[in-house]
Amino acid sequence: MLRFGPQSREVVLAAMPPFEEANRLRAFFVTLLRALGDHGIGAALPDIPGQGESLRPTEDAALDDWRDAFAAAEEKLTREGARVHIAAMRGGTLYDGRANCQSRWHFAPVTGAALVRDMVRARQAAAKESGEAFDAKAIAGDGPPVELAGNLIARAMLTDLQGAVPYAGPGLRTLRLDTDAAPADRKIVARPLWRRAEPDNNPAMARELAADLADWVKQCAS
Amino acid sequence: MISEQHGEIEATVRAVLRDVLGLSDAQVEGFDPTTPLFGALPELDSMAVAGVLTELEDRLGIVIDDDDIDGDTLETFGSLTRFAVGKVSS
Repeated sequence: MLRFGPQSREVVLAAMPPFEEANRLRAFFVTLLRALGDHGIGAALPDIPGQGESLRPTEDAALDDWRDAFAAAEEKLTREGARVHIAAMRGGTLYDGRANCQSRWHFAPVTGAALVRDMVRARQAAAKESGEAFDAKAIAGDGPPVELAGNLIARAMLTDLQGAVPYAGPGLRTLRLDTDAAPADRKIVARPLWRRAEPDNNPAMARELAADLADWVKQCAS
Repeated sequence: MISEQHGEIEATVRAVLRDVLGLSDAQVEGFDPTTPLFGALPELDSMAVAGVLTELEDRLGIVIDDDDIDGDTLETFGSLTRFAVGKVSS
């Protein structure tokens, strides 16, 4: 688990987006977590099983394990005396719900079905380029893991993701881009980094979001 | 009314290409209907095609069936805009 900023009592536990979007958003999310330090708040970023620097192969990743692992990260921080607040982005909002926390903050939450659809579509576009066919229905049913957008993913994981929706409940603040029609507590004018063909960063947006998250943490801590 | 809506959709297509491909405002402002896209923009690979289509769906409130996309859809800025206009009005 990577740690950022001061050893504060209030600690933000971050849920990275999984799979392809992890590559495009890691630099941005880390910039945001570092910027929290300017507000006197420390942060922790765990690698969930089968993602990041986890030793488990990507194809062995399971949504239920992610939820348990993230909840275990929260318990560890709490045992160390921290008061844990959760920050999740995109697909990170699909596995943060089992963890206890003082408050929860979501940026650009997305359903698991939409994530799977994006990855299937990328696979189809790649197949079209090379002149082969890829049937979207091929990911259903039993069989070996499926390669989608450069990740080998278990079919059970894809099935679980199809039904997964972001945590919704009390103590949640949600931010979205202004181009997203879904309701939010605040809309941000910025470009969607998770759609960018090449990973990029936006330090100004990271600082803006860090300030919003820090305010929310302080509000919920008092 | 139709031309006004066409202009709005064209602006959305321009913004989506800018945002997904990481192009500058100046570059996308220079796009005209004959500007070649697929094969001409190195940024537009298969992942980016998927991003462009999904982002168009989100911003225009349309659903794109992957069977709707053929080799010509992303050939030029004009063909992609015509495709989007057709989807919005269908």
